[in-house]
Amino acid sequence: MVESQETTTGSNAGTWTWNFNTYAAVSFVILAVTIYFVIPYQIDKPFIVLGLSQSSLPPETFPQTIAICLLVLGIWFFFKSFSIDQVNELANLDREAWSNVTVTLIMMGIYVPLMVNLGFVVGSAIMIMAMSTYFGNRNYVVAGVLSIALPSLMYYIFRAQLASELPPFPIDIYPLTNWSLI
Amino acid sequence: MFDSFLQGVELALRFDTMLYMSGGLFLGMFVGALPGFTTVMAMAILLPISFFLDPLLGIPFLLGVYKGGIYGGSIPAILVSMPGTGAAVATTFDGPALTKKGQGRKALEMALYASVSGDLTSDIFTIIAIGPIAAVALLLGPPELAAILLLALIVISATSSGVFVKGLLMLAAGLFLAMIGQDPIGALSRFSFGIPEIEAGIPLLPMLIGLFALPEIFVNIEKKASAVIDEKSLKVSGEPLRWHEFKASIRTIARSTMIGTSIGMIPGVGQVVAAFMGYAAAKSSSPTPEKYGKGELDGVAAAEAANNAVNGPTLVPLLTLGIPGDNLTVILGGAFIAQGMRPGPQLMQEQGPLVFAILVAMVIANILFLGIGKLCIPFFAKVVTIRKSFLLPLTLVFAFAGTWVFRGQPSDLAILVIFGAIGYLCKKLHFDVTPMAMGFILGPILEYSYGQSVILAQGELLKFIFIDRPITAVILVASPVVTFLMWRRSKRLQAEYNAGSE
Repeated sequence: MVESQETTTGSNAGTWTWNFNTYAAVSFVILAVTIYFVIPYQIDKPFIVLGLSQSSLPPETFPQTIAICLLVLGIWFFFKSFSIDQVNELANLDREAWSNVTVTLIMMGIYVPLMVNLGFVVGSAIMIMAMSTYFGNRNYVVAGVLSIALPSLMYYIFRAQLASELPPFPIDIYPLTNWSLI
Repeated sequence: MFDSFLQGVELALRFDTMLYMSGGLFLGMFVGALPGFTTVMAMAILLPISFFLDPLLGIPFLLGVYKGGIYGGSIPAILVSMPGTGAAVATTFDGPALTKKGQGRKALEMALYASVSGDLTSDIFTIIAIGPIAAVALLLGPPELAAILLLALIVISATSSGVFVKGLLMLAAGLFLAMIGQDPIGALSRFSFGIPEIEAGIPLLPMLIGLFALPEIFVNIEKKASAVIDEKSLKVSGEPLRWHEFKASIRTIARSTMIGTSIGMIPGVGQVVAAFMGYAAAKSSSPTPEKYGKGELDGVAAAEAANNAVNGPTLVPLLTLGIPGDNLTVILGGAFIAQGMRPGPQLMQEQGPLVFAILVAMVIANILFLGIGKLCIPFFAKVVTIRKSFLLPLTLVFAFAGTWVFRGQPSDLAILVIFGAIGYLCKKLHFDVTPMAMGFILGPILEYSYGQSVILAQGELLKFIFIDRPITAVILVASPVVTFLMWRRSKRLQAEYNAGSE
């Protein structure tokens, strides 16, 4: 897909000013070196039967090749980065964007235990209500109806129609647990 | 091959297949009509649904989302000059001007008919082309396949958006991620760092949803206030499209279909460029080019036929060689893999009737597309007004539910969020995640083919390649030239796109 407009010559051309691409290049080089050095510790040894390895290709070959490719490309990118003129859109995010993304990430973090412990429908209803309120909805009746109806519909579709599992309603498991205790 | 095709036709003519396809088309148009919500996001989020369905239901469902999504973007583009997807940007040149003239209904109907015509023709071309290409692909052995995969991966990185070296780095990162878990040759554990959740490898589905869907959500939440749209402007008004008006655009639709079909075969280019090229070609060959941009029905037809004609041919490299050409076909490739149908040369031989059934279903989808589009245009026009404060949490819930049902493990949700954050970071720093996803999907096949080639070479790899396998040698030697040519072509298309969008 060709959607973004970027140039490889621009205000950085001809200068050796470090920019976000340069830092990214250094990160890739560090990643490549790290991968290369952890290979002996992170790849199982092949079985050896009667002194012969059971693997026709040494298991390190492909990972080492990728690590070397990453290193070479990282170095190329490092030198290339000084002539790439791109805007660091992360640095240009305003306070509102940062806070919205952070709040959403926190909500996602909270949503996981809610969904696992309270069940998909209840957990999702709480998440939808909280998030829609944060993002400006003040029509609580509609939000309340939607936050219960849509997760319930999803739950039904996934469980009944697609025969797959979502965390069940607490009501599905707790009474059964209690009965089994009896 | 013809027998497989006939069996495929028989398999495709199922009521439930058409029902699921209609559902996919409806959802695709719905999401496509929402500005800021892309077809990629819709496909990534709806991907899990296809996992639990029969292949003849799940894959056509996703194809429906694909086709519907590309068309759906044109609705807000025509009515309020807000393209629902990137593919509809070229439609904003003439669509809104037609709406202002009171010809919104004509423009929407022209967009629909042109989309269906382009899509249908390119799908028929796909069915005709896929058989011979698959037959040639079957002659390829592991060394040739490894060489083609390598070439395809490099070409995709070269033609991805942005800087070439950044695409290659993302590809290498994807190949590294693919190595986590078990190696495909000796089943030895690699790079699991003692974390049991990734001992079998990084799960594909959370990765795809994370990389392609969550970043779109994050971009949409950067601003709380959503655009306020005057509901009156969303009224589909005016006279319907007349036959003589459509007839006048048939030549343009045919030209744009040819452009879209040939672009669909090239990896990494996609619908956006096709729409611009179709529009530019129509304008340059028109006797009245000055009318373009001021409300010309032909302009809408040109852009819409071209962007929808890309859909079918992108499946040719995916199904015959296992090479997805863009982010949408990466997701489709994931759906095929999850269904136990690994795309590649063997697929047509092993499951030919099923593949043809899916392709025939694509043709049938166009008829459904026409019906659903015609009936639901007024409804989709209103979709633009749905508040993002409702849509975003619902989308997020769907992404989490889809990830959960994959394996029922909370760790998958963590992987989803991690890849969502990586995808967002990459978007903001101009790294295209498509080469990474390609590397992740094709890495094990590349490694396996390479391993088999080494076994076949019996220790003399160079002699084996250059003397015993001349096709492999030719592919490898030609790779830098092909990569350069594709890179140059991609940059030229990008320049045309940039010039067109200004």
